[in-house]
Order: sequence, then structure tokens, then C-alpha cells
Amino acid sequence: MTEVAVLGVGMHPFGKFEDKSVTDLCRSAVTAALADAGVSWREVEAVAAASSRFSGGKGWGLNGNDVVEDMGSTGIPVYNLSAGCSAGGNAFNIGCTLVASGLHDVVLVVGGEKMPKGFIQTSGVEEATDPEFLRQRCVGVSGPAFWGMLCRRRMEDFGTTEEHLAKIAVKAHANSVHNPYARFRKPFSMEQVLTSPMVCFPLRLYEICPVSDGAAAAVLCSARFARQKTTKPVWVASSAVATARFDDGITRHVAAASPTGPTLHSEAKIAVEKAFERAGLGPRDMSLVELQDNTVYYELAFPEEWGLCAPGEAERLVERGETGPTGRLPINPSGGFQSFGEATTAMGVFQVAELTWQLRGEAGGRQVPQAKAGLGQTIGLGGNATAVVLKR
Amino acid sequence: MTERIPVIEGLFTEGPEGPRLLGSRCVTCATPYFPKSLACHNPSCTEGRMEDAAFGPRGVLFSSAVQNYPPPPPAKYDEPYRPYAVGMVDLAEGLRVLGRIDTPDPSALRGGTPVELSVGHLYRDTEGRDVVTWQFRPC
Repeated sequence: MTEVAVLGVGMHPFGKFEDKSVTDLCRSAVTAALADAGVSWREVEAVAAASSRFSGGKGWGLNGNDVVEDMGSTGIPVYNLSAGCSAGGNAFNIGCTLVASGLHDVVLVVGGEKMPKGFIQTSGVEEATDPEFLRQRCVGVSGPAFWGMLCRRRMEDFGTTEEHLAKIAVKAHANSVHNPYARFRKPFSMEQVLTSPMVCFPLRLYEICPVSDGAAAAVLCSARFARQKTTKPVWVASSAVATARFDDGITRHVAAASPTGPTLHSEAKIAVEKAFERAGLGPRDMSLVELQDNTVYYELAFPEEWGLCAPGEAERLVERGETGPTGRLPINPSGGFQSFGEATTAMGVFQVAELTWQLRGEAGGRQVPQAKAGLGQTIGLGGNATAVVLKR
Repeated sequence: MTERIPVIEGLFTEGPEGPRLLGSRCVTCATPYFPKSLACHNPSCTEGRMEDAAFGPRGVLFSSAVQNYPPPPPAKYDEPYRPYAVGMVDLAEGLRVLGRIDTPDPSALRGGTPVELSVGHLYRDTEGRDVVTWQFRPC
């Protein structure tokens, strides 16, 4: 296995772009990533793309093919990866594997999405055999209600307050002020967050992420290729993909066997632990974490599920501001999903871009001082999760 | 009298002993399933023979939330929309089930509260029928 470098990254700003197609957003991100890498489109040997559920892709999730046609068809192989909101992470993993195996020297990874407005709807299939249909028709549990249930339990177990939740949102937006790609680039006060409408008690509007349009791309290459282009490459220390365990405590359909252990997000835990193991690095080696903050709750639950802090310690870190860019455990210095909005399948690549900028010291006002290694993580429908560790 | 129909046929019953969820259980490893499953999905199970099983009515609330805003399709509700509580309930038979929680004060619910299975109104359909689903109420 050869070492893999992230040679270049690019992003299209997140927001709502009525007059652009998802392929337009991807072209912008890909062009920026190629320029950042100093690589021409004709040098790209393969594409690993996240399959969009909502836009482009010829209705079959063939978004990688759209990108290749758009950039100029050179006959290269395209891999379209579908994994719910984890698809960008899966595409990154396959891109890494294509380089690490020695099969290709230069691989493009891309994810883009144009999202419909409002709550994300499920499959649209109206059949009694479809678990998502049953869950929504018989009970009616939106994504935020699901997060609300998990958050409510934590509030009871650990004494998490509404102020803790709001403070995480305030931190996210304070970071986003310094990120030119974020959708919302203004500070929010505690009062603004705490008086925003209740979406699914106990979670308010500014404590869950909206949906956005956006795209991100990364150029991966072999160590040999990287050394021809740069003296300071960012390295892929590891990339891991996992799915949920049978004994997980989250009811993903209408029912499941009651769990025997405490694990709630086993897919994410497995992916992150595998990524640490393969990188030969541990939680304490992470200078920063970009985690999937669909809701502020995840910034409390995930760090301790992965050993970044002790159970119940996350609230104390938030109180002391330790999850800010200059704190002990910087979380989502990018501004996170809270500030970008989720362009579902782009997010795994979005995280890689932020980690890369941070590790190069190019993150401006949101820079984590002396960042040496960072973790990125996604979680998606179907029990999918990915993790990546990048290092200098 | 208004006609009363289940949201989906065969998921629950309202017999003389009270409401029950209709599922199945693996004879080999005892894993419960709701709705019925044709196969056992437990990776540690060696055989996976299934038999029909009924679950409920006793359980304990794991956690709850309030659906303050109308959920997206295919959820259905009466107009004007009224927020409702949803929860994860651990039934005595070892099954964790999602359901609405029938309570006048949704935000006051707490994990660990004993609940029991009931069948209640979900929405009125276009023919004016009372469409019902399984739910839980504190007891």
C-alpha cells in the first residue's frame, strides 16, 4: 500500500442557488481543487463521487458521470457511491483505496447536492413492507424529533441544559464568521438561539442544521506524485467505513430488540475507532474534529462515544469554551453543518477540505493553532458512517 | 358511529385482553421483531426459525421528544396541526418500539416513566373515517 496525500481541495460556497445545477456547483469545487493541487483535468485518472439522492445524476445517482461529462470525457473510470449522508465519506474512502492500492496516481473525489426545501423526506415508497414508510405514516417522526429524543435522554442522564445546547450553536456561528464558504456568516447571541422556534422539543430551530446546496472536491494522489508537486503535503493517515451493529440502541425502523449495551451510534463509533487504529493515532492526538453536527446534541454525544472526552465531560468543555478553535478540543472550526446547512452527500468531502486547510494553516480567523492531525466523521441513513484522519 | 380503521392492517390488535403489537420472535435466539420478520437478523443466531408473537402492553419510556412542526409526507395529520409527543419505549418482551405518547403535557415526559400500549386516533381520512395507530400512555 502506498501513502495517499490530499494534494488539493475546493468548495463551492453553501447556500441556495436557484440558477445553478448540482453539476455547476461541482464544477466550481472541482476546478478549485484542481487549481489548488496544481493538476490539470487530463491528469485525473479516476473519479470517486457521492451519489446525490436529490439532484442530477440522471436520476440514478450517476453524479460522477455528470462531472466527467461536464469537465470533458476522457474515458476514465467513475465510481458513484451511495450511502445516505455518508456518501461523501464513502467516495473519499474509495478514492483513497484506488490510490493506496497503486492502481492510480491521481484520483478526484467529489460530492455535491441541491436540496429540496424543508424536512428531508423519506423514500416516497408507500408500501407496508417499507420500514421508513411505516415509521412516518404510523408514528410520524421527523429527523429532528429523532435527535430530540436522543438529546432529551442526555439532558436527563447528564443534566445538559438548554444553555449548553445554545452555547454550541453560538460557537458554531462565531466560527462561521471567518469562513467564506459558510452559508450563515454572522454571529448569533445566546438569546437569539434560545428564543428561536421550537422545532422538536427540546431542540430549537438554531440548534439543528438546515439543508443547503453546496459541493466540495478533493484531489488525492500517491506519495510519489505528491512529492513532485509540493514539499508540504497533507497525508491521509487513515480512512474507514462502517455500518451499525445489530445491538445498537437506536430504533432505525419502527422497532428493534432493546439494546443490551449503551451504544447509540455504533456505526460512527466503529468507523472512528478503526480510523484511529489504522492511523496509529489516538483521540489525544487530534488537533481538531469535524463531526456531523446535524444537531448540537452530536457535539456532546460523539466526542465521549469516541473517547475524546469522558462520559458527561462534554458539557463542561462547552461551558469553558474548550471546543472553540483555540480550546483543548476544537470541534467544527469550519462552523459545521449548523453554519453551512447540510448538502447531504457533499459533507464528507466538505470535512476533508476544512481539515486540509486547517492542517496547512490556511484557515484564517478560525485557525486551530499548530494543527497536526484532524478527524472527520459522517453518519448516514441505512446505518452508514465514515471516518478520516488527516495529518501533516 | 364513525368507522374506525387501522393505519396499516395486521400491525396490532385490540382483543379482549387489550391492545397488542403483532410481530414475531426467533425460536432459536428469542430476538423479538415488530412488524413480523420472515428471518432472524441477529448475526449471532445460528438457526433463525421464526414464530408469531404478540407484544405489550407494559413498557418503560426510554426517551421522548415533541413533533412541534408538522412532519413531512408520508406522515398524515388532522388540520389544524397539533404537536404530539413521540417516544422510544422498551417493552417488557425486550423490544424497543417507536410510538406516539398520549399525554396532555408532551414536554413534561421523562425517561423511565412506565407506559402502556393503547390504540388511538392518528388522522381522519378523506372518507371521514377514524384512522388509528398504536401509541403509549403513561400509567
